[in-house]
Amino acid sequence: MGSVSGMLRTLASGSKHLAIKRFTLRYPEQKLRFVGDGYQFDPKEGVGIVGYRGRHILYHDKCTGCQLCSIACEGIAEAISMVKVDKQYKQNKKGIMPQIDYGKCVFCGLCVDACPFYALFMTDDYELAAYTKEHLIYTPDQLAVKPKYQGTYEIKIDELGAYHDE
Amino acid sequence: MGVEMGKERIPGFELEGRDEDGMDRGILTLSVGPQHPGSGHFRLIVKVDGDMIVEALPDPGYVHRGEEKMCEYRNYIQNIPHLERPMIADSCGILYPYALAVEEVCNIPVPERAKYIRVIMAELNRCIFELYWLGIYGIFLGHSTMFMWPMADRELLIDLAEMASGARVTHAYFVPGGVRNDVPDTFPEKAKGHLLYFKNRLKEYKDIFYDNPLFQARTVGVGILSREDAINLGATGPVLRASGVDHDIRKVEPYDVYDEIDFEVVTMKEGDSFARAYVPWLEMYESVEIALQALEKMPSGPVRTKLGPNPKGAVGEAFKRVEAARGELAYYLVSDGNPKPYRVKLSVPSFREIPVMAHLLRGAKLADMPSIYWSMNYWPVEADR
Repeated sequence: MGSVSGMLRTLASGSKHLAIKRFTLRYPEQKLRFVGDGYQFDPKEGVGIVGYRGRHILYHDKCTGCQLCSIACEGIAEAISMVKVDKQYKQNKKGIMPQIDYGKCVFCGLCVDACPFYALFMTDDYELAAYTKEHLIYTPDQLAVKPKYQGTYEIKIDELGAYHDE
Repeated sequence: MGVEMGKERIPGFELEGRDEDGMDRGILTLSVGPQHPGSGHFRLIVKVDGDMIVEALPDPGYVHRGEEKMCEYRNYIQNIPHLERPMIADSCGILYPYALAVEEVCNIPVPERAKYIRVIMAELNRCIFELYWLGIYGIFLGHSTMFMWPMADRELLIDLAEMASGARVTHAYFVPGGVRNDVPDTFPEKAKGHLLYFKNRLKEYKDIFYDNPLFQARTVGVGILSREDAINLGATGPVLRASGVDHDIRKVEPYDVYDEIDFEVVTMKEGDSFARAYVPWLEMYESVEIALQALEKMPSGPVRTKLGPNPKGAVGEAFKRVEAARGELAYYLVSDGNPKPYRVKLSVPSFREIPVMAHLLRGAKLADMPSIYWSMNYWPVEADR
């Protein structure tokens, strides 16, 4: 009868997995490696540079306070607001820079596409959990810090199946 | 005369065996949903006579977000992230016709390489979506292995999508004029490895799920949709093809480079829940084939036409449709020459499954409801827009 052989085949197919490697990534100890240095955009060519779209990085020496990132975000997440910074910059007389609320950001990266001065890029950092909503708001000084994300694991495929390994 | 059931009144529907005063005392009304007992954010008002469903009234609208109106207040680029929100599991599929329509309205050329990358990403997303759906279908029929396996194998393809676009699910990758960024150099090789492995894994799904007598007992011969009904009720996608209609937008109206790629449209004649679950599985094979062919043929060159930050459309309109994972997905876009669209209309496949669902559930057993409902590939958020 078909149902008996079907049952046996089902069991055989399932029990094969006792022998092959576990696929699961053990997350906090093992982290995935991403391509590139985070998503960037080249305004001259008008095309993005591949990378993971995580937390932003802001280059204070390039940001002119033109608000284009904030305008781009206006219809998307309204996560970017321009705030005053204490320091004076030659290219940024008014001294205003973006502040990003990660409680609202959708990580689409269109603010990076809008920046014509190579000042706002994205990084590999996705671990942004915080205890309060206020802590999710990143000031320009916090955004200037380069994240220390270092993932080394990636998916490997061999005769034992697919698994995560360094 | 209709049946009175609380406040609802169904015109033109007559029940047999009513009392003399017209009340249907033998009929019990159940509300399936909207708080997610396996239905999504969607309510089915099910009227049962004993174990049989006499009437199922779909009640959508709980997750209506006003996507179409939102489009009118944002420019063509700002519309991208929110338009993929209705269907984040297939975010390239729902954004594809939008990109095509804006290209037509704004007269934006698309580089050849971008077309191939789009096809690859669309097919990866089709598999990602169908695995997600298959996992949920499995768990709602009590087959928890079928939940674990597709969710794990989906990770292989999400890994590829993330490598190309930089995000796991909401890629925001297709833009008018191409794609956001070029794929990395290592992508074609890695993609081939993952896709070939995935193709082998698909065979195991047949062993553990489709050939499983328990799954077959729940689905074979359940909720049969005939070819005529499928056409008349306006079914689309795998539901239509499972009823034997050979209709696929990728063949009927090829967009981008689908006409240069060799693939077959999968159809089945049975039209039952099993066929509706089996067609997506067969389609995943075709998707892998399409993606492999596109990787092979992909030329080098630019991937995005340089645009201003605020592209303006010419006065005109565009109607573009693509074959998303759930069926035909169309955008109708009207431009009055401003940077913002005058009107955007989404025609989504999930919405078109609602009459089919109501038709199939009528007369079925209540216990067959999950098997019919999930085989429809219905996603409330997409249907409500």
